[in-house]
Amino acid sequence: MNIIEVKDFSFSYPDQRKEALVHASMEIQEGTLNVICGRSGCGKSTLLRQMKSVLAPHGVSSGSILFKGKALNKVDHRMQSSEIGYVMQNPDNQIVTDKVWHELAFGLESLGYDTEDIRLRVAEMASYFGIHQWFYKSVEELSGGQKQLLNLASVMAMHPSLLILDEPTSQLDPIAASDFLATVRKINRDIGTTVIITEHRLQDIIPYADKVFVMDKGSVFLEGTPREVGQKLKAEDRGIYLSMPEPVQIYGEIDNDLPCPLTVSEGRIWISNYLEAKKKSGAVQAENPEHGDSMPESKEDEKQKTLKSGKNSLCAIELKDVWFRYEKDSPDVIRNLSLKVDNGEFYALVGGNGTGKSTTLSLVSRVRQPYRGRIYLDGRDIRSFRDKELYNGYLGVLPQDPQSIFLKKTVLEDLYSVIGGRKNKKSPEYPIDMKKEKAIEGIVSLTKLEELLERHPYDLSGGEQQRLALAKVLLLRPRILLLDEPTKGMDAEYKQELGKILNKLQQHGMTVFMISHDVEFVAEYADRVGLFFEGNVITSKETRAFFAGNNFYTTAANRMARQFFPDAVTGKDVVSCLKKLS
Amino acid sequence: MQDKAQVDAFSGCHPILNFFYFGVVLVFTMFNQHPVFLGVSYAGALAYSVLLLGWRKTLKHSFLMTLPGLLIVAFLNPMFNHYGVTMLYYIESSGNWVTLEALVYGIVLGAVMFVVIQWFSCYNKIMTSDKFIYLFGRIIPALSLILSMALRFVPRFINQLHIIRNGQKSMGRDTANGNILQRARHGLNILSILVTWALENAIQTSDSMQSRGYGLRGRTAFSIYRFTKRDKILGVIMTGLFALIVTGCARGAVFAQYDPRILLAGFTIQGKNAPVECSTAFALLTYLAFGIFCFIPVILDMAEAKSLERSRKNIGQDIGVTYRQIYEETEREGL
Repeated sequence: MNIIEVKDFSFSYPDQRKEALVHASMEIQEGTLNVICGRSGCGKSTLLRQMKSVLAPHGVSSGSILFKGKALNKVDHRMQSSEIGYVMQNPDNQIVTDKVWHELAFGLESLGYDTEDIRLRVAEMASYFGIHQWFYKSVEELSGGQKQLLNLASVMAMHPSLLILDEPTSQLDPIAASDFLATVRKINRDIGTTVIITEHRLQDIIPYADKVFVMDKGSVFLEGTPREVGQKLKAEDRGIYLSMPEPVQIYGEIDNDLPCPLTVSEGRIWISNYLEAKKKSGAVQAENPEHGDSMPESKEDEKQKTLKSGKNSLCAIELKDVWFRYEKDSPDVIRNLSLKVDNGEFYALVGGNGTGKSTTLSLVSRVRQPYRGRIYLDGRDIRSFRDKELYNGYLGVLPQDPQSIFLKKTVLEDLYSVIGGRKNKKSPEYPIDMKKEKAIEGIVSLTKLEELLERHPYDLSGGEQQRLALAKVLLLRPRILLLDEPTKGMDAEYKQELGKILNKLQQHGMTVFMISHDVEFVAEYADRVGLFFEGNVITSKETRAFFAGNNFYTTAANRMARQFFPDAVTGKDVVSCLKKLS
Repeated sequence: MQDKAQVDAFSGCHPILNFFYFGVVLVFTMFNQHPVFLGVSYAGALAYSVLLLGWRKTLKHSFLMTLPGLLIVAFLNPMFNHYGVTMLYYIESSGNWVTLEALVYGIVLGAVMFVVIQWFSCYNKIMTSDKFIYLFGRIIPALSLILSMALRFVPRFINQLHIIRNGQKSMGRDTANGNILQRARHGLNILSILVTWALENAIQTSDSMQSRGYGLRGRTAFSIYRFTKRDKILGVIMTGLFALIVTGCARGAVFAQYDPRILLAGFTIQGKNAPVECSTAFALLTYLAFGIFCFIPVILDMAEAKSLERSRKNIGQDIGVTYRQIYEETEREGL
């Protein structure tokens, strides 16, 4: 039986000619786990919001949506509240009350249950989700992952038959994200709740999906089991591919008739099968595939050469035996940290949550100061800089939350606000002769904001907001760029764009220092990677050597292919290795 | 009931009892000027405070913060008030008398303040926001949700303010950067960013509320508190004591007058008795009742500790006995 049916549904936002949804159709079977994917702005979220009347945005629509065979707008608010659960992106914004237990009970209070019933249901949920340990806690004390789990639990407390999740893990770190998705799978499996989910982190959910829908330009153009979709997508354009799990991407690049691999282990089997088949057909020469040094060299080598030649000059950032703690009697967060970032280098710091990565960044940006040890920028002690010197034309910091630096009503005004308004006069923020329009034009085209200049910063998508924030920071012409989790909550395409921008900046001699959870992104774009653990950098190596040497903390592509090509780190590496063989 | 281990036995009782207790204790301390009564109240507050905060903190509080206050009040009153019949000292410069009555009254006033502050240090520990919200929710259900949301919102707001300030700081635009004019502008910018952020994100919160059925008719208010049998018994005892105290006070057991001469119920001072019908015995009974009332949490806690200890002892014995019986039985059967 179909729990929800979207029939020929079209929708457009008021005052917009372009339709956000174009004759979209979709049938969701009861008890299944469904994944909707597609690039940003393809109408995923718009479609999901249409499935719950109170969340449906205003606008003109045609077609119909049926919930359990009944038109959705005929199903009353009470029924929809309890039957259709909806979890959104931002864990913080969804939490209404100050205590965990109260949050769990919120929906049931709305439905008018009495205290005894609520007590039972809340207890049930807390036990099922493992919340009982922090049941009496204040919401403020929870981590991001716990908050999102709480949101899920408080929706599940109302016993919905349909659970809709709109990019629920985009604000979480990788570990919390896969825990969350595992819980979603568990709900689907144990309780039989129908799940519809959109996600960036498809590798954790697609292998378990019953059905995958691929959307583009407001309509569903492909549906089927994950394997079918992987196979069919091969014939389609590449844009959507980027958001697929790594094995599917690699599979899509290689000409073969084997079934599509979905997970790393399947990918491994697939590679070995593929190589076997090749061997049989005699296409592979006696060359030993274990020897993986037939890597793409040109770009990487160049980089290394430039780096080595620059070794003699001063380091852009140097930390010497730095110690830091937040309170007088709290434990040390940074312990004896020493770190060097060369001029013109793209250095990435990876590592788990709460190990002190962000704190390191705040030390380098002088937001906080170490209680022991020194920090040098270009060989000069960071404390000797005046504010104007340091922050205008020297250091640029892109904060994790781009919204925290948006000031004006439109993108253009916001950009002007950084350099002291539209008037063409010199100021500490803008000491150069170039016309301001010119500078803005340049930055705008670098960060690809041309189309968005008249929009409100808050109306931009996550990736666009990030680029606007980057543009604002770049207008101050920094020589060293510090980035705090720049790929958080962004889809694959935006990541690619951001990576290109960063590489371009680097070519012009900028030093980039980034902290990130995103192993794939780091592998693709960084020169050198440091692993941060317990307040210190454990190891710091060239990107390829770093990932090739790690067993767990490495990219999916590497984990999949390391038996055959130990040096292949990114998906592209693996593809080129495989192609070389044929 | 709390996450961070229970504060004490009394804090685990129903919030209504907590609230009732502090209400009675505070009101009777604030509107009384009878030294014995205040002394009893102080003993109770001190004992409870020691139980909750420990000796060290309690003494530190009393000596550093509240005692100076007491002394100032006690000292100032006779400087400015010159009523009373017992002259102690003549101040030539102003031509006024320092009187015993004014001095004593000053000390009593200071003591009231002192004791009330002592009680509030206990109150803060016991009456958590949860309990407060719950009590108000009983009266006005909508208010409890608003309070709860406010308590959620304020720390978030402050947290975001830190994030925004750090963002601005790393662009050299914090309120600590630049001259006064620039600082003011930076401050305004930060405020503006914060407000925009709050408004934008509140939309999502309201979505989340609506999607969980907020606005439906017949909303209920859930609470984690239960009125147990122990609460009932304690409630009866407290009400009984309260009734006794009220009767006593109504009949003048706590009568105290400092102007023009000192008259205290139950005492004969300078050969005069207080003009009340209440007998000394009944006054003493009232003080005793108030004393017990003040010491309820301490008594409760001690009783609980005692019974815990006993039960621990019993566990050991019981099991020992049981096992010995089992061994003996198996032995007998084996034979």
